[in-house]
Amino acid sequence: MVASPPVSKSNPVAKSLVSGILSAVGCVALAFLVQYISGQFLSSYANGLVFQAATFVTLAVSLNIVNGITGQFSIGHYAFFQIGAYTTGALSLLFWKKFQGAANVPMQEDIWIVLMMFFGIITSAFAGWIVGLPSLRLRGDYLAIVTLGFGEIIRISAENFTFMGGATGTKIAPEKTVVWLAWLLAFAAIGLSRNLLKSVHGLAFLSVREDEIAATAMGVNITRTKVAAFVIGSAFAGAAGVLYAHQQTFISPDLFKMDGSFIVLTMVIFGGTGSITGSALAGASLFYLPEALRELPPVPFASLVGIVLGLIATIGALKRYSDQSHAKTSVKAATMIGIIVVGIVFMAILGKLLSFVPSISAHAPIQGSQLRLVVFAVTLIVLMLFRPQGVFAHHEFSWKWLRSVLARVLPKQKEGLSS
Amino acid sequence: MSQLVLDKATIKFGGLTAVNQVCFELEQGMIFGLIGPNGAGKTTCFNLITGLYKPTSGSITFDGHDLSQYPTYQIAALGISRTFQNIRLFGSLTVLENVMLGTYLRKESSLASALLHGGRSIGDTSRKREFATNLLNVLGLGDLLHVRSRDLPYGKQRRVEIARAMATNPKLLLLDEPAAGMNPQEKVALMEDVKRLRNEFGKTILVIEHDMKFVMNLCEQIVVLDHGEEIARGLPAEVKANPKVIAAYLGE
Amino acid sequence: MVLHGLFLGLPLAALDIRTLPQQIVNGLLNGSIYALIALGYTMVYGILKLINFAHGEVFMLGAYTSLFVSWAFGFTPNATVEPQTQVWYLLVMIVASMTVSGLAGVLIERFAYRPLRNQPRIASLITAIGMSMLLQYGGQLFLPNSPPPNIDAMINPYRGNVNITLVKSNENLVAAMKSAEQTKLTADSAWDAQKKLEENSFYPSAKGQALQDAAQKADRDYIEAQGKYNNSGVSILMPVGRIITTVVTFILMGVLSYLILFTKRGRAMRAVSHDFDSAALMGINVNSIVTFTFILGSTLAGAAAMMDATLYQPGLQINTFFGLLPGVKAFVAAVIGGIGNVPGAVVGGLLMGVIESLVGWAGYTSWQDAAAFVVLIVVLLVRPNGLFGSTAAEKV
Repeated sequence: MVASPPVSKSNPVAKSLVSGILSAVGCVALAFLVQYISGQFLSSYANGLVFQAATFVTLAVSLNIVNGITGQFSIGHYAFFQIGAYTTGALSLLFWKKFQGAANVPMQEDIWIVLMMFFGIITSAFAGWIVGLPSLRLRGDYLAIVTLGFGEIIRISAENFTFMGGATGTKIAPEKTVVWLAWLLAFAAIGLSRNLLKSVHGLAFLSVREDEIAATAMGVNITRTKVAAFVIGSAFAGAAGVLYAHQQTFISPDLFKMDGSFIVLTMVIFGGTGSITGSALAGASLFYLPEALRELPPVPFASLVGIVLGLIATIGALKRYSDQSHAKTSVKAATMIGIIVVGIVFMAILGKLLSFVPSISAHAPIQGSQLRLVVFAVTLIVLMLFRPQGVFAHHEFSWKWLRSVLARVLPKQKEGLSS
Repeated sequence: MSQLVLDKATIKFGGLTAVNQVCFELEQGMIFGLIGPNGAGKTTCFNLITGLYKPTSGSITFDGHDLSQYPTYQIAALGISRTFQNIRLFGSLTVLENVMLGTYLRKESSLASALLHGGRSIGDTSRKREFATNLLNVLGLGDLLHVRSRDLPYGKQRRVEIARAMATNPKLLLLDEPAAGMNPQEKVALMEDVKRLRNEFGKTILVIEHDMKFVMNLCEQIVVLDHGEEIARGLPAEVKANPKVIAAYLGE
Repeated sequence: MVLHGLFLGLPLAALDIRTLPQQIVNGLLNGSIYALIALGYTMVYGILKLINFAHGEVFMLGAYTSLFVSWAFGFTPNATVEPQTQVWYLLVMIVASMTVSGLAGVLIERFAYRPLRNQPRIASLITAIGMSMLLQYGGQLFLPNSPPPNIDAMINPYRGNVNITLVKSNENLVAAMKSAEQTKLTADSAWDAQKKLEENSFYPSAKGQALQDAAQKADRDYIEAQGKYNNSGVSILMPVGRIITTVVTFILMGVLSYLILFTKRGRAMRAVSHDFDSAALMGINVNSIVTFTFILGSTLAGAAAMMDATLYQPGLQINTFFGLLPGVKAFVAAVIGGIGNVPGAVVGGLLMGVIESLVGWAGYTSWQDAAAFVVLIVVLLVRPNGLFGSTAAEKV
C-alpha cells in the first residue's frame, strides 16, 4: 500500500473556507463597483445593457445546471423567469405602496426588491420542484416537450390572469434597474455552480447525466438529484425574473414567449453544455446580439436572399469537406477558411445579381430586429453540425489552466531572448 | 450466517419467465459463482438482487432486509454493489471522479453545504478524494487517476469499474462477467485481485462468468442456471461433472 | 372559486348537454387534420426515435403552397375578375402542397438530421428545434402573411352544411312560437304607426311609451320562444368542407396502411423502426427507407395543410406560425396514441380534436391551446406509452 504523506486535514479546509469567504466579499464589492462605474460613466442605455448581460449570465448558468451538469434537457427555462417576474408584479401591486409609506429608510427600493427576490426564489423554486418531479419518469426528448409545455401553460395562464392585466400586462413599481444586484446574482450563480462541481455532490449530478443506471447502482438517488437540479436552476431564473420586472417597469406575457427559452438554450449550447465558464461567457456576449441586430440598417432583400443561399451552400460545402477530409488540422482549418471566404464572395455576387430581378428588388428591406431569432436558430444549427460540444466543451476556466497556458507561452519568449 | 438469501425468486416479463424459483444462499466471505449458457437469466438475477427489477414472487433477503421493499439506491446503501456486463463507467469523467462517485453514498455533508462552500463539504470532499486515490493506488490503478475513463483500454475500464464498486465499501460485491474480453494474463491478475478483495477486505463476492477455468479456480461454490432455472449447485468439482450442466453447455 | 375569480370568472355551471353531440362531431371532424399530421410525427419517431419539431413547419409550407397555387389560378385578393372554382383546381392545389411538403421534409432530413445520426439523440432534437425556429422566423422574412380574404372565402366551393337532426324539436312549442310571432308583428306595427304620429315630438307620449314597451316585450318573448323551440331538439351541423376533409383523410390513411402493410418498402419500414442496426445488417438501405418515411409523413402533412387552409370554415389567416399550434396538438395526439404506433396516431388525433372541442364547450375557449399541453403532461405522467404503445425495457 502506498504510504500517503501525513496531511494536516484542517489546513486545506481552513484555507478553502477563507478563500471562499474572500471570494464572496470580493464579488459583492465587484458588483457595487460595476454598478458605480456603469451608473456614473455610461449612458442609461449602456447601463441597461450591463444589466441585461448579468441577467443572461444568470439565466445561462442556471440552465446549465439542469441541462449541462445534470443532463436533463429542459427548454422551458423562461417559464421560471416569468414566474419570478410575475411574483414581484403581484406582490408589488398589492403591497409596495404600503411598504413605501411605512418603512422610510434609505435604499428603500433596493430593500423592497431584495425582499421580492426572496419571494421570487420561493415561487420559482416551487415551480421547479413541480416540473422536476415528473422528470423522474420521462426520457430525454419527452422531458424536453414537457418543459416546453409547462412554459407555454405558464404563459397562457398569465394571459388569462386578469389581476395582472391579462394579455396586456401590468406596470411594475418601484422602477429601478438594480445593476449591482443583477451582477451579484450572476456571481452567485457562477459561484454556486462551481462549488457544486468541486464537491462530491457535484459528482452525483454528473453521474446522473452520464449513466443513470450505474449512478443508481452506486447509491445515487436519481430522483432527488434531478429535482434538486431543477429547483436550483429555477430559483436563479426566478430571482433574475424579479430584477428583470423592475427594470422593464412593465411586464406582459409577450415578453416571455418560448423564444426566450430558445435563446438561453442556444447560449448554453454555444458555451458548451456542462461548462460554467462557457455558459457565463456565452450569456455575457450573445445577449448583445438582439440589440446589435436592432441597430443594423435595413438589409436589402436581394442581399438577404443572396446571403441565405450562399450560406446554405457554404455550410453544406464545409460540412462535406470536414466530414470527408483526413488532412492535418492546420491544412483543414486553412481550407475551411478558404471555403468561407469563397462563400462570402459568392453571397455578395449573388446578392448583387438578384437585385436585378424586379420582384426581389421591389421587396421591402428587412429590419435587423426581424433577424433576431433567425440568427440564433442558424447559430444553433451550425453549432450542432460542426461543434455540438460547444465552444468550451467540458472545460472550465481555472487558475491552474491559466498558469499552464502562461507557462507554455513564456519559456518560448525566454528562448527567443537568449538566442 | 447467510448474508444473501434467494428464496424461490421468480420474475416474469409478460409471458416469459426469465428467472424461475431460484434458490441459493451466500455466506459472508464466500466467493460464489453463477454460471450458465447465454440467456440463462444470470444478469437478471443480478438485476433482481440490486433492485433494478422487483421479483414477481419469491423473496430476496440481505442481512435480514427484504430487498423488494427497497429502491436500488438504497440497496446500494445496504451494502450491495456491482459491475455491469456492458461496462457502465461515467465516460466523460476521470478515473478518480468515477471512483469518488462510489464514495458518495457515504457522504457526510449536505448539498446546501456543498453549494455554499461550507467547511463540512470541503472537508468531506477532500477526505473522499483521498480515499478514492488510496483505493486506486492499492488496486494498482494509481497512474490513471486523471485519465478520462472513456479513453481507457477495455481491460483497464473493467478494473476501474470494480474499483468504483469497491469505493462504496460494500459487504457484497456482484461482478458481471469481469473477465470478458481479457487476455489470459489479465485474467490471472483479475483472479488474484478478486481473491484479495475477499482475503484482505472481507468482501463477499458473487461472480457471473463464462470462462470455466476462471470460475472453477476462483469460486468456492457454484450455481448453474439454464433457461431461468437452477439445474445444479455445489462445489466446482461436482458441478463440472454434473451431466445436466454438460448438456446445457454443449447441447444434448 | 377564488382562483376562478382571478381568471376570467367563468362559472362552470352553464353546460348545456344538448350541444354536446355537436361538439363531439366538431371535434372528430377537426381531429382528422390532427390525425394526418400526427402520422408524420409518429412514423419519424418510430424510425429514428426523433421528435421532428420541424414537422409543423412542413405543414406550414404546404399551406403556403396552396395559397400560391390559388393565386396562380387567379384567386388573388386584388383580382378584378373573380374566377370560378373548378374541382380540378383543388386537386392541383392538394397535389402541389403534398409535393412541396414532401420535398421540404426530405431536405430537412437530409441536411439537418442525417449528419447527426451518430450523435446522441439530444443533438438531433436540438437541431430539430433550431430548424423549426429557423423556418418560422426565417420564413417570415420571405413569405407574406396571407392578406384577407383568406383562401377559404375565395375558393371553397363547398359552403353548405349538412344538418342531421338527432332529436326533433318539440312540436308543441311551434304553436307557442307562432303566436309569439304574431303578437310581435302586431305590437311592432302599432308602435311604428304611433312613431309616425309623434315624429316631431322629442319625448314619446304616455301612449307612445306604452306601445314601445309592448313592442320590445313582444320582441323578447318571440326570441325566447324561438330559443326554447331550437333548444328542445338536438341537431348536428356539419360543414360540407370539413366532411370532405375527413373523407379524404381516411382515404389517405387507407393508402398509407396499404403501403405499410402490404408493400416491400412498408415491410422494410417496419423492420427499421423495430431495430435500426439489425435492419441495416439485413441489407436494407436504411437511408432510402428513412427518406421514404419522411416523404410519407410530409406529404400527408401537406395534404392536411391544403385542406385546413382551403376547406375549413371559417377560413384561417396563413402566416409562418401557422404550423405551430397544429403541430403541437398533432404531436400530443401522437403521444396519446402511443408514439411510433400508426393507428394510435389516428385515434390520438381524433381524440385530441374532441378534447379540444370539449374544453371550448366547457367555456374555457381561451384555454384551448393550453389544453393540448395539459393533456400531454397528464398522458406522459399517467401512461407515457400512450393508449397503444408498449413498454420496452432497457436492457441492463
